[in-house]
Amino acid sequence: MNHPTDTSVPLLAARDLTKSHGRTPALRGASLELREGEILAVTGPSGSGKSTLLHCLAGIVRPDGGSVAYGGERLDRLPEKRLSELRRTEFGVVFQFGQLIPELTALDNVALPLLLAGTARGQAQAKAGEWLERFGVRGQGELRPGEMSGGQAQRVSLARALVTGPRIVFADEPTGALDSLAGEQVMSALVHTARETGTAVLLITHDAQVAAYADREVQVRDGAVVPQGVAV
Amino acid sequence: MSGSPQSSPQNLPRVSLRSDLRLAWLLTRGSDRREWWRVTLTAVGAGLATGFALGAAALASVSGWYRIPFANGLLDEPGTRDGVMFALLLLLAPVLGFLGQCARIGAVHRDRRLAALRLAGATPWQVRRIAALESGLACLLGSAVSTVFSVLFMLRIGPPSAAAWLGFALVAVAVPVLGAVVSAVSLRRVVASPLGRVRRVRPATNKGIRALLLATVLLTAVAALMVATGTRGRFNGLPLIVFTLVVLTGMGAVWLAGASARLIGRLLATRARSAAVLIAAERLRDDPWAAARSHAAALLVAIAGTGFMGVREVLLEGLDPKYAYAPYSPEDLAFYNTGLDLTAAAILVALAVTLGGLAVGAAESLATRRRGLAAQAASGVPREVLGKALLLETALPLAPAMVLAGIGGMGVSTWYAVLAGDGRPAPLLPLLAPFVIYAACVLTAAASLPLLRRTVRPAELRYT
Repeated sequence: MNHPTDTSVPLLAARDLTKSHGRTPALRGASLELREGEILAVTGPSGSGKSTLLHCLAGIVRPDGGSVAYGGERLDRLPEKRLSELRRTEFGVVFQFGQLIPELTALDNVALPLLLAGTARGQAQAKAGEWLERFGVRGQGELRPGEMSGGQAQRVSLARALVTGPRIVFADEPTGALDSLAGEQVMSALVHTARETGTAVLLITHDAQVAAYADREVQVRDGAVVPQGVAV
Repeated sequence: MSGSPQSSPQNLPRVSLRSDLRLAWLLTRGSDRREWWRVTLTAVGAGLATGFALGAAALASVSGWYRIPFANGLLDEPGTRDGVMFALLLLLAPVLGFLGQCARIGAVHRDRRLAALRLAGATPWQVRRIAALESGLACLLGSAVSTVFSVLFMLRIGPPSAAAWLGFALVAVAVPVLGAVVSAVSLRRVVASPLGRVRRVRPATNKGIRALLLATVLLTAVAALMVATGTRGRFNGLPLIVFTLVVLTGMGAVWLAGASARLIGRLLATRARSAAVLIAAERLRDDPWAAARSHAAALLVAIAGTGFMGVREVLLEGLDPKYAYAPYSPEDLAFYNTGLDLTAAAILVALAVTLGGLAVGAAESLATRRRGLAAQAASGVPREVLGKALLLETALPLAPAMVLAGIGGMGVSTWYAVLAGDGRPAPLLPLLAPFVIYAACVLTAAASLPLLRRTVRPAELRYT
């Protein structure tokens, strides 16, 4: 596993990304860089291509054109197996909702990436428990996602995204389905943990208050990235 | 990253079958009521497969003339025993196909779960393996229950031999493994993406079909060689020829079902005068192979059912003292009647499995298209129209298949009546069989309509 450690080079760099959904272009030459430990907010109006950009950067979707470089590897050229491995070990992904498995308890949901990697269940659960504790939802460990509030479920999602010690967390509107108080709690937990662990965060949001947590903000307009300057 | 409870990715152990099995167990245990019906269906299918295979193993462990205290002597003779054994093994084919259908519907129902697994870093193959192992666990349950009951039943008949015990143990282990393998094969074109499940399109090259054809040609050649060289005994070429014929017939039926569905779709799409017919026709044209296997099974069962009813009538008339040259003894009559009853039971089991497969296929089709259907309902297409279209997707391609089944079945019974040689025409009553089977198939498709009600909820549109 090659961990990029030189902070002078970007941890993740996208160049001239293009992607179309059928005949509708979503990205038209988007370029973006993310540095080690940086919290970057990507804002923009609905339909501007923010989520597609995140999907391409996280290796979930393959771009039609352009490149995504991470640690000396071209994500856009990697086989599916390696991309899955990266998502299991180096990347964490948080969506607005729906990424938790309803059949598993919160504890097993957080332990999932470790279980997938072959870690013994006891060991995986112990690690998962530590992360739930960290996000203040240890008491909900035995609950299933349907039995939790939106804020609790989202904190469990954050714990799952961070349990393997990723270098980057991709968060797509992580507070989009929450009320303002729960949203604030989730963002504080995410930013605090990212700062403490040195994890870079790529945050997709259309909420200026959420974007204010970031070190830097860029805007996506019509499928291209427009720099916004320092937000903090 | 000091102070964080992180584990180094480099230290993560290799992905193992054990960890996937553990995950499959966790997911099965956490299944909700909607999931349990599928697990139950899979277990029932595996139970049936185990029962058939155990029966075949028990019969295979017996050699020469052997008195078996039931079935009116049908199982005493090696010749008829081999026939029953072959029929039992043949019944495994639709049951295994049904298990595959169950795995596929499971993949569709659990698309969010599979997507979440992919998002958490599972490879596409790992997701398929976990899903197959879930099926394997359900099969293990069904197989265990069936084995216990079958062994208890056989102990009542008499103590099984060592060879029979070995056969039972092999079957009890092999069925869950086979169930998992069949599931994995059924899921080979299912690709779960981290954003939701997608079904991989049929490959442009038909390598699999070509390989199957090649294997069948090779089998035919081997069988022909065995017949030509005059190999005798239990290993003569006949079973191989019958097996080859069965495979060829199955392939032909699937091709016919798919090709006729495409043709019907094309013809109706341009002539449809109602929205329901148009939707059904476009669906058939778009994916004619979606239900081809279930429809092929219905076609074969209808031919077998019609043919069997005709043969049965001719045979029973022949046994009637009014027509028989010499009166049959009660033992002989019981022997023939038991044979006919067992064959009827086998055809009914095949029909039940086919209907089960059809129901699962209809549910899969709905679940696959739930977002599209929800969008159609949200944009004003009445649910009744969508329901009619769903029924027509089954009713339209099956109609010509049932006509063919009537012709084929009547051909079989006419051939047998000519063989019987007493000048009486083949009975016409069996012609009712295709109609009954057709009605059963359409009713089975109708049974999935309540699922449509749930499918077209606007809430489905949230998950895009």
